[in-house]
Amino acid sequence: MNSLFNPKAIALIGATDRKGSVGFGISKNLLEGKARRKIFFVNPYQKTVLKRKTYPSILSIKEKIDLAIIAIPSNVILETVKEVAKKKVNWAIIISSGFSETGKEGSELQKKVAAILKKAKVGLIGPNCLGIIRPSSKMNASFAPAMPKSGGIGFISQSGALIDSVVDQSLFEGYGFSSLISYGNGADLNICDFLKILEKDKETKSIALYLESIKEGRKFIEIAKKVNKKKPIVVLKGGKTMVGRKAASLHTASLAGNEKIYSAAFKQAGIFQVNTISELLAVSLGLSMAKSCAKGKSIAIITNGGAAGVIAADWAEKLKLFLAPLDKKTIKKLKSSKVFSKSTNFSNPLDIIGDALTIRYKKAIDILMQQKNIYGIIVIQTLQIMTDVKKNAETISALARKYKEKPIICCFMGGKLTLPGIEILRKKNIPNYNDPYLAVLAMKALIRKK
Amino acid sequence: MALLSFKKTKQLLKKYKIGMVKTEIVDSKEKLLFAAKKLGFPLAIKISSPKIIHKTEKKLVITYIKNKNELLNGFYTLIKNSKGLDEIEGILVQKMATGTELICGAKKDDVFGPVIMFGLGGIFVEVLKDISFRIAPIKNSDAMDMIKEIKAYKILTGYRNHPAVNIKKVAEMLKNLSLLSLENKAIKAIDFNPVFADKNKVEVVDAKILI
Repeated sequence: MNSLFNPKAIALIGATDRKGSVGFGISKNLLEGKARRKIFFVNPYQKTVLKRKTYPSILSIKEKIDLAIIAIPSNVILETVKEVAKKKVNWAIIISSGFSETGKEGSELQKKVAAILKKAKVGLIGPNCLGIIRPSSKMNASFAPAMPKSGGIGFISQSGALIDSVVDQSLFEGYGFSSLISYGNGADLNICDFLKILEKDKETKSIALYLESIKEGRKFIEIAKKVNKKKPIVVLKGGKTMVGRKAASLHTASLAGNEKIYSAAFKQAGIFQVNTISELLAVSLGLSMAKSCAKGKSIAIITNGGAAGVIAADWAEKLKLFLAPLDKKTIKKLKSSKVFSKSTNFSNPLDIIGDALTIRYKKAIDILMQQKNIYGIIVIQTLQIMTDVKKNAETISALARKYKEKPIICCFMGGKLTLPGIEILRKKNIPNYNDPYLAVLAMKALIRKK
Repeated sequence: MALLSFKKTKQLLKKYKIGMVKTEIVDSKEKLLFAAKKLGFPLAIKISSPKIIHKTEKKLVITYIKNKNELLNGFYTLIKNSKGLDEIEGILVQKMATGTELICGAKKDDVFGPVIMFGLGGIFVEVLKDISFRIAPIKNSDAMDMIKEIKAYKILTGYRNHPAVNIKKVAEMLKNLSLLSLENKAIKAIDFNPVFADKNKVEVVDAKILI
């Protein structure tokens, strides 16, 4: 796998200086990793690209090539593919479109291309894809707008454009990826192969999937079931509204729409299903950061704002998480800590009141964690003038280390003023969300992670 | 596309240990009367043909027949209503079933192969679409999950005056249906609709197997 995620030598066929083109984008992105690997530009019509010498063909490169990226029009691709096969590269990414997505002729071409590469034992990614990004090895074999940060989420997407926007969002929000994979038409390597690759990948802690369709349903369930046990998978399925074939004459056939069948398959594989891109990223991020999973369905919510606690509790009920009632021992400990206001109502959600200083968070988390049937805690912080976001974040991080078996998910609500606290949480690998709903959803996913 | 004949359907259900309400197929008035005597009232009678998928809409089903007189009237009505129809196999005579109405089915999906469906019959499936799916093969835990997944699950466990059904046996039927649809590759879709269940038994009333 190293030769794909961290190749020693890459050849880009279709490298160009022409601004605004795909070839130019990939050329630029590849050069980000020039300190780590050899990069060869192939272009028979230009002597240099980005001030680097070009080669007329991949066959005129003497060195061994691990990965060939092909970004030339599909109507002239066949000869190039034959050369790539002859060069005995390990992997080929075909970025170009104009294959099975366009119709019968394209499908024929795709079959030919795939067969040539398969015969030469070259693993093919694509065609019609964005490419592959591996932030930790500064390998950006794509035309994505920038290099994302390195992190624990392995993102596999059938859509390339979606990856581009997610990369930008991740840079803005400060999280990272182990790898981003767009496999387009999946003529050779497909979703099942990439799941297996990420299962073995040490950097990948969780897997986010954006899918519209799969080809081999049963194989997918089998593999996903196995992979999910090691690396929890979250899926967003596009194209949900497609209904079953109307012409179907039996009840079952007309009721069995695409969405229901995919959803059943995901359930059987144990995959966590979400409905939006924000949820996909939020949940996979939570799964990639949290060191432990909740051992049971009952949790606690600690909040310094009543309403935020109520919203979280509502979502907990909807998502079938239970709020464990605080037992007598817990209440006694809370009372005798003497840090809580007299008006505190010792119940779950535990409202430690708006004027809560860090000591209240500390005592509340510490004491609730000791109650046996509380398997995880959602800690909400709304921002009051006395709220010390940084100190709160430090204290929560320390407690998360103390109680390794029970996950803490934070919901520091706010923006600019809350950011310093959020940054600390991020550094300490504590999942944090701006919205109580996402915090509860992530907790739900952590319970299912087994 | 055509339905499997009644005879073959009955054999297949038997092979996969799927219970069916006592049903006979007859081709004469005499045989009808004889079957009625054997089964006992109340009865239902319906036309059986591999070409007819929606019997009720074509007025080819008569239910709650309480005595011989009603049976004969029903017989003549079915003969009249089925005039001109192709490939009639005969008339099905069936003991009226009781219990909670369920629907079970299967469909061969292009991507996933046989998919199993479960739900409560009548408005629950028709209007509310309160149904669940799993990809075959299903384990016992999958069958239990799909039963518990429907919103009307409470009705199955007994609710107010509504008696509980034998959920274990429903799960058993779903598992058998899963096996049947996996092992018989020619089948495109299956409807067991309705299925009647109570605390002792789960029985298919109408089985349609599309090949």
